[in-house]
Amino acid sequence: MSAIRKIELPMSRQTAESLELGDMVTLTGPVKMTAGMPTHQRILDFIDAGKKMPMDLSQSAFFHLGSYSRDTGNGIEILYMNPTTSTRFNHMMPRIIRHFGLRCVGGKGGLDSACAAALKDVGGVYLSFLGGGAPLHSESIRRIEQVAWTDLVSHYRLVAMDVAELGPLTVAIDAHGQSLYDNLDASVRQRREQIIEQLNLARARRD
Amino acid sequence: MTIKDADIQKLSEDLYSWALRKVPEDTKVALAAARDRETTDTARRTLNMMLTSANRAENDNQFVCSDSGVPVYFVKIGTKADWNANIKSAIRAGFDHLVETIQPPLLKHVTNPLTNERSYSGRHMPIITYDLVEDADYIEIICSPKALGSGRWAAMELFTFPTLETIETYILDVAIKAGAQHCPPVVMGVGIGGTFDYCTKLAKEQTLREIGSINPDPQVAAMEERLCEAVNALGYGPMGTGGATTVLGVHVDYAAGHGFTPVAVAFNCWINRRTRARIYSDGHVERLE
Repeated sequence: MSAIRKIELPMSRQTAESLELGDMVTLTGPVKMTAGMPTHQRILDFIDAGKKMPMDLSQSAFFHLGSYSRDTGNGIEILYMNPTTSTRFNHMMPRIIRHFGLRCVGGKGGLDSACAAALKDVGGVYLSFLGGGAPLHSESIRRIEQVAWTDLVSHYRLVAMDVAELGPLTVAIDAHGQSLYDNLDASVRQRREQIIEQLNLARARRD
Repeated sequence: MTIKDADIQKLSEDLYSWALRKVPEDTKVALAAARDRETTDTARRTLNMMLTSANRAENDNQFVCSDSGVPVYFVKIGTKADWNANIKSAIRAGFDHLVETIQPPLLKHVTNPLTNERSYSGRHMPIITYDLVEDADYIEIICSPKALGSGRWAAMELFTFPTLETIETYILDVAIKAGAQHCPPVVMGVGIGGTFDYCTKLAKEQTLREIGSINPDPQVAAMEERLCEAVNALGYGPMGTGGATTVLGVHVDYAAGHGFTPVAVAFNCWINRRTRARIYSDGHVERLE
């Protein structure tokens, strides 16, 4: 098997550009996360208004992860975290990617070709997380740095944390505009008729 | 002995908690078999991570997924069961008590569709379907918490006197639309015929069938087999990043209807949340999965 690459964050553009589709990586260092649609809207509102974000997202690793956070009185802890479906944010992500020059984005299910084009512009990648991986992802949390926008429900908040060997994650959109999702969709479009023909043949063999 | 509110409340609460921490045995077996069939490192590793995550959640009493879904229950009441309970209220009380006491706590996923406001309760929640089981002396409860990741890709369409080709092409196209999105490999439940409401119920029930179970009707069994092959030929693979396993099973049921024929498709993601138990008239509880 090919090796799983261990990457220290923040990730350089050069490192991002060296990653190939299907590579698996682990990440160590600072990451940001949220799973909220209202959160993305608020980020766009802040960009439009030229307001200062509660945390700096520039060139960061920004992931679509939902988490349960609570204040212990002695700091904030995250009890569990897990990816949410990134494609829900397709229409919002190109501006966010370009504005902050995001180096890594991720979650599950991928992003569309407009997002892939934005990632290419800024030299960023999309990393696919295991859905249903809460026990694995949660144990990588070393420290919670900040939880912002606490007026929102827990999984919508913007969280900054430090992780150790988060992953493995699959490189699903590279920094050159290539996307596993687009490739699979194109392949399915090309083979759909043939697959239907095979279904028809299998049915005819029975009849 | 008589089955009482407290029995129903306790069991519905337990079933939910179990469903969040335990991937069914048949599903783990199917994931392991899929791992051994896959040919790329990425697909094999992804399936391996699924199995590791499932085992860790079970052993450490953690949730497999952060999206604990909304409470969905199926209640099958034995016509010979001895019961005296307000089943609906008892299940609601069970879920309310779960929300107050479960560790780790649940995130708020119950959503008002008119405002998108999220909380732990709402109109017609929990969602409960009732059926009767003739001659049985138990009440069976199935809990299958439904989350957004796979829930949002279910679909149905109404046809008039469709051919099997039309029906199967539609099912394939629903799988194509879901693509990489629903945390594959999934279980696909398909309902054909009946009425608008009954057809979707059939599809949903089929997602709860044991993986590897064979439909007793040979015509339907053959349809399940060829649809399974066709969906896997799409190549979306584990977590939709490519591979030979997009579906662990396609389960089909049908009902007679008029010439207008609804076809419904529902998905369970790879963690395949599904727990089931029976309370017998003498009070003892049998956990089936």
